[in-house]
Amino acid sequence: MFLAWLQNSALGHAMRETGVWTYGVVNLIHILAIASLFGSVLILDLRLLGAWRKVPLGAISSAAAPIAKTAFGVAALSGVCLLATKATEYEGNPFLLIKFPAIALALANVAILNRSAAWREHRMRELSPREKSKLAVFGGISLACWVAAISAGRLIAYW
Amino acid sequence: MFSRLSHSLGTAAVAVSLATIPAWAHHGWAGNSQEEFELIGTVQRGVSLAGPHATMQILADGHVWDLTLAPPARTQAAGLKEGTIPVGATVMIHGHRNLDPKKFEVKTERIMWNGHTFNVYPDRK
Repeated sequence: MFLAWLQNSALGHAMRETGVWTYGVVNLIHILAIASLFGSVLILDLRLLGAWRKVPLGAISSAAAPIAKTAFGVAALSGVCLLATKATEYEGNPFLLIKFPAIALALANVAILNRSAAWREHRMRELSPREKSKLAVFGGISLACWVAAISAGRLIAYW
Repeated sequence: MFSRLSHSLGTAAVAVSLATIPAWAHHGWAGNSQEEFELIGTVQRGVSLAGPHATMQILADGHVWDLTLAPPARTQAAGLKEGTIPVGATVMIHGHRNLDPKKFEVKTERIMWNGHTFNVYPDRK
């Protein structure tokens, strides 16, 4: 129902009726955004999991987090446009049912992370070993979620 | 620690790529029969140049067939635009049928109509 509504929306019409390159260009924007999102998340999550201990976490997070945030916004907007083009064709596509819960889980993970004292204070003080291993769990969940979301997302086209 | 981590990441990547192999169906030609397939029918829904592939529907043998054409720019370059072939017109199509007999879908290489041939995949037989 939502898919039919989305397809018939002004956005769906615009995606289908504004020229033969529209889909391709929006697709390109989506891929650039995903590349930026995953690149920044990968570096941050690997740091949380214990890589590059000599580099302060704050130095990595202050570069990676804003890129990830912006890239996610661009990916979400361009993704809605791509979906709106022929939304009803994706009904029953199992990869969609893996992708969106994986994204929801990744966002929930980052929301909980943002509320933790360890994350809020990591730029101001040295974290305890217990806090570091807590952040490592968040990093691991994040990485698993984004790998699942991107894999399932790519496979949507092959169903 | 890090080398162990990258090792398990590598293993995960291999597992993911192996898992994708049987799923290839839509964008490639693997989900469609190797056999050349021809069909004559009447246009049910005219050409749409929306992405990722141009599409069209014809009525033939009592079924509505979904025709998957080339990507929009390439379909247009072959002279096939939205509204070029009117709804109700009789067309002959050439391509490769979906391997699933329950799916009436053809990846279409050529459409013949009214003395015109729209060859959207000129590099394919």
